[in-house]
Amino acid sequence: MTNLSARMELTERLEALRASLPDKVEAAETLEELAGLEAEAIGKRSLVAQARRELGTLDPDARRVVGRQIQETADEMARVLTARRTVLEAATDATILERERVDMTLPGRVPAHGSLHLVEETMNEIVDIFTSIGYTVARGPEAETEFYNFTALNIPATHPARLETDTLYLDYGDADEEVLLRTHTSPMQARYMEERDPPVYVVVPGRVFRRDALDPTHSPVFHQVEGLAVDTDITLADLKGTLAYFAREIFGPETKVKFQPDHFPFTEPSAQMHAYALGQWIELLGCGMVHPAVFEHVGYDPDAVTGFAFGMGADRVAMVRHGITDLRYLFDPDIRVLRQFR
Amino acid sequence: MKLTKRWLEDFVDLPDAPEVVAEALNNLGFEVEEMRPLTPSFEGVVIGRVEEVRPHPNADKVRLCRVDIGTEVSDIVCGAWNFEAGAIVPVAVPGAVLGGEFEIGRRKIRGVVSNGMICSEKELEVGEEAAGIMVLDGDYPRAAGMIGEDFAALLEYPDTFYDIEVNPNRPDCMSVVGLARELAAHFEADMREPDYTVHPVDEDTAVTVAIEDAEACPRFVGREVRNVAWGPSPHWIRARLTAAGVRPISNVVDASNYAMIEIGHPTHAFDADRLGDTVVVRRARPAERVVTLDEVERELLDNDIVVADAARPVAVAGVMGGADTEVAEDTTRVLVEAAYWDPPSILMTSKRMGLRSEASARFERGMDPNFCHLAADRVAQLLVDHAGGEVAGRVDAYPVAIEPAEITLEVHAISRLLGTVIVADEAKAHLAHLGFGVSGEDPFVVTVPTRRPDVRRPVDLIEEVARLHGYDAIPETVAVGGGGGLPGADRRLRVLRRILAAAGYHEVLLFSFIGASDLDALGLDGTDPRRDGVPIVNPLREEEGVMRTTLLPGLLKAAAVNQGRQQASMALFETGKVFLPGDGKLPEQPEHLGFVATGMRDGDWESPGRGIDSRDATGLWELLVDRLRIPGATRRPVSAAPFHPGRAAEVAVNGVGIGVVGEIHPRVAEAFGIRGSVAAGELELSPLVAVRDDWVFSPPSPYPPAIFDLAFEIDAAMPAGELMGAASAAAGPVLEDLELFDVFEGAPLEAGRKSIAMRLTLRAPDKTLTDEEAAAVRRTVVEAVEAATGGALRGEL
Repeated sequence: MTNLSARMELTERLEALRASLPDKVEAAETLEELAGLEAEAIGKRSLVAQARRELGTLDPDARRVVGRQIQETADEMARVLTARRTVLEAATDATILERERVDMTLPGRVPAHGSLHLVEETMNEIVDIFTSIGYTVARGPEAETEFYNFTALNIPATHPARLETDTLYLDYGDADEEVLLRTHTSPMQARYMEERDPPVYVVVPGRVFRRDALDPTHSPVFHQVEGLAVDTDITLADLKGTLAYFAREIFGPETKVKFQPDHFPFTEPSAQMHAYALGQWIELLGCGMVHPAVFEHVGYDPDAVTGFAFGMGADRVAMVRHGITDLRYLFDPDIRVLRQFR
Repeated sequence: MKLTKRWLEDFVDLPDAPEVVAEALNNLGFEVEEMRPLTPSFEGVVIGRVEEVRPHPNADKVRLCRVDIGTEVSDIVCGAWNFEAGAIVPVAVPGAVLGGEFEIGRRKIRGVVSNGMICSEKELEVGEEAAGIMVLDGDYPRAAGMIGEDFAALLEYPDTFYDIEVNPNRPDCMSVVGLARELAAHFEADMREPDYTVHPVDEDTAVTVAIEDAEACPRFVGREVRNVAWGPSPHWIRARLTAAGVRPISNVVDASNYAMIEIGHPTHAFDADRLGDTVVVRRARPAERVVTLDEVERELLDNDIVVADAARPVAVAGVMGGADTEVAEDTTRVLVEAAYWDPPSILMTSKRMGLRSEASARFERGMDPNFCHLAADRVAQLLVDHAGGEVAGRVDAYPVAIEPAEITLEVHAISRLLGTVIVADEAKAHLAHLGFGVSGEDPFVVTVPTRRPDVRRPVDLIEEVARLHGYDAIPETVAVGGGGGLPGADRRLRVLRRILAAAGYHEVLLFSFIGASDLDALGLDGTDPRRDGVPIVNPLREEEGVMRTTLLPGLLKAAAVNQGRQQASMALFETGKVFLPGDGKLPEQPEHLGFVATGMRDGDWESPGRGIDSRDATGLWELLVDRLRIPGATRRPVSAAPFHPGRAAEVAVNGVGIGVVGEIHPRVAEAFGIRGSVAAGELELSPLVAVRDDWVFSPPSPYPPAIFDLAFEIDAAMPAGELMGAASAAAGPVLEDLELFDVFEGAPLEAGRKSIAMRLTLRAPDKTLTDEEAAAVRRTVVEAVEAATGGALRGEL
């Protein structure tokens, strides 16, 4: 009877706790308060824990009934507590996150970064267009002999380009073999052919020199890309088609080109190619069919092979494409200039 | 070559549209650099005939004219006195506009109404003459039949001015006739060759010519013209010369200039009475001098060719005439010289004297030896027509006639080179149009006119055919190569450059020249090989007088330029050739990589970042070694200009030094005008971009690492690299990572000692290392480090 009445009393107290808990939980404003209520309701020293301990004193049937009752009460109180905890936790998170708010329009931390020079990148682009159609790449000496720069290219001994007013000469070597700074990339035509048999399909990017003071359109140092194709049956039609393909690749598929006769000692017939790009006609490059005298200089048989050659100013291509009107910017190390090269 | 369309039309009928002619010239290879319309600045000026000239009733400086202007006879007051009744004159009638803005009206002059104005050249802006009005009868005989007609139509208005670039291989086209001939061929129009006929009053001349050097002067023609009267040229000659950029002088001088522009061949007019009758063409003699037309006394050398009389040189042959024998107002007898000079001789003399003339520019490219007599006669014609001259005899010294060359041209060679089918008839027609003689069917035997020194080989003829066929009409085919692509070193160079850019470095392109003072600023001693630069013979500026032996001066100047423009922080690099004396015909020209960095790194608005120092240089080297997989990379401290003696390292690949990285000597930085420390380096490029074997993947070990820290006390001068190297070698293959994490000097250490601490991470690929195994490695490392550095482990083993 004691047993029974004690049990009744516990059940009633449990029921009372269950009934009062939701209001208390709802009133809890902090996770700490909620933890206190949780300990009181379902913690190790709570009525629920006490009731569970006393279950053992009951007979099996009663134990089952009362056990289920305790469990249901405990579960319900846990639900109430959890629901409130979720609310309180969310509120706490919100406070913390709000405190952590930053101005996302402030400048970010940009990784250190540099740039590659426009002229080098332009030469690479030009080179890539030709390697994509089966040409290879060669480079040559910048300090060159007068022979390769002029004589091997059929440029007469009296040609004004050989004058000291036009070409920078070096004080080097024997008097009978003048050394100069190459005035074009064309000497590599002769050097390259001397070293191998035809066929030849090559482009030569590089630095060239003239005795010109630096001004908006001249520089003592500038850059060219030379091209040379020699095979058994290279024609003027091949020259036109290959260079037109190049112009469309670099300036866009709608680019128009026109070829006009010109004169260079190392090509015959010779031409200049103009391209209509970016709203204007641009004199883009000089070109022509390799002169038989050049073939004779390098030991090729002009009756067995024909070829074309061309040379273009890489600086000029870069300037046209990017709206640069003063050549001097390409040799200006001002990082406000360099940062624009991207 | 400056000329007008109307002048061309003396010799060929051209399309009306000036652009069509310009395009034709471009397509023939004569680039039109400028084209502009020539229109008069006046409007409403008519041709009138002065019927009567009377004194003005109220003024004695002006006269009253009655002028027939076609529609009426007007009273016009005129202040000029260079005409009388009967003169044909330009009349600005009321309503006419002069100079684009000045409108002519009726106005009273001293009580008499003037119905317009009789005009001078200056007022009409058609010439310089302002002293009197234009009297047209003499200059424009046809004007008498055009009374009342538009005066502009009498002049060559409207017209078109062209400035045409003539390539140096086409001296024959430095003339109106030459370009007309090209256009005639292009448009398949008839060419009206000039008529060179003269009517000598006397077939004889007292002048004799002796050529002493027939190589330099293969032909010399002299035509005597007598009784010339000095005066102005007709207006139309002066107008055409002005358009061609030649200043009119007088009828005698202008005749020679006009003929040169028209037919190309330069001639020279001597005053025959000043010259004397014995003309000799010879090399100059020692110490001979001549005063040229520009009043400059010129010293002659023995390879200069001169025209001389019995006593002295009177002209620098083919370049410029002499002042002594120049035609002048009192000249009555003229000897017109038309010679053919050896082009290289002319070039050499004009270069040496720094004296280039329209004549020398033509002779140095090559004139037509078989045209000399006609050139002289064209000038004689003009002297007859416009200077009242009478043609007398001619001397013609032409010891060995220069014959036209013949070239054999196989017809199939044309199509083979051009890549399009050109039939024999077409090729033959094109060549004939240009004046080449063509015989035979296949091959052609082509006779080359002697005015075309540029045509020597079959390929030159093929170009002629191509020009007239039209480059536009040739198809386009792409010549695809056999492959090869970008060589490995080029590919690796691109990778290297991208690594540097990603590391914050900006690529620059700098000139290849330095000055001796740059090497002083670097602090290089006298024996430094970089002192031994290759000098430039003819530099533009002394400070660019030597080829660069190092990239650093350029880069340091670039840094200074930026600092001067308030850019305190920057990192720059360049790859390029340096030039050093070598054993071969050419200097050694190795490619180098150079870099400089100064200022702050990683700063922004929140923090200033950190200052750049020597470790930025060594760190960049470590980055390159890692990313480019450079094998056997080592470095050691070195004292080397221009670096700080205690902050520089020589870096090596497989034991071979390839350059130095470090911090620039503060005095060097100062000498270049740079504030703050500068990290820099210069390395040979080829070991960096050499093609490497492919790398092999190693899977990360799934087993836990054994990690331990070691600190050693060593001599302060001992490089950390020695310690780390010894530790790394001793730890063997289980060493995954070795990280230096502390270096310090000072208490509790004695002076001259330092402590270096590092963390070693060991890990085996196939198992968990036991404590014993890890301890054994640790022991080995400690022993090895102590042995290598003479240091001691701090703390317990």
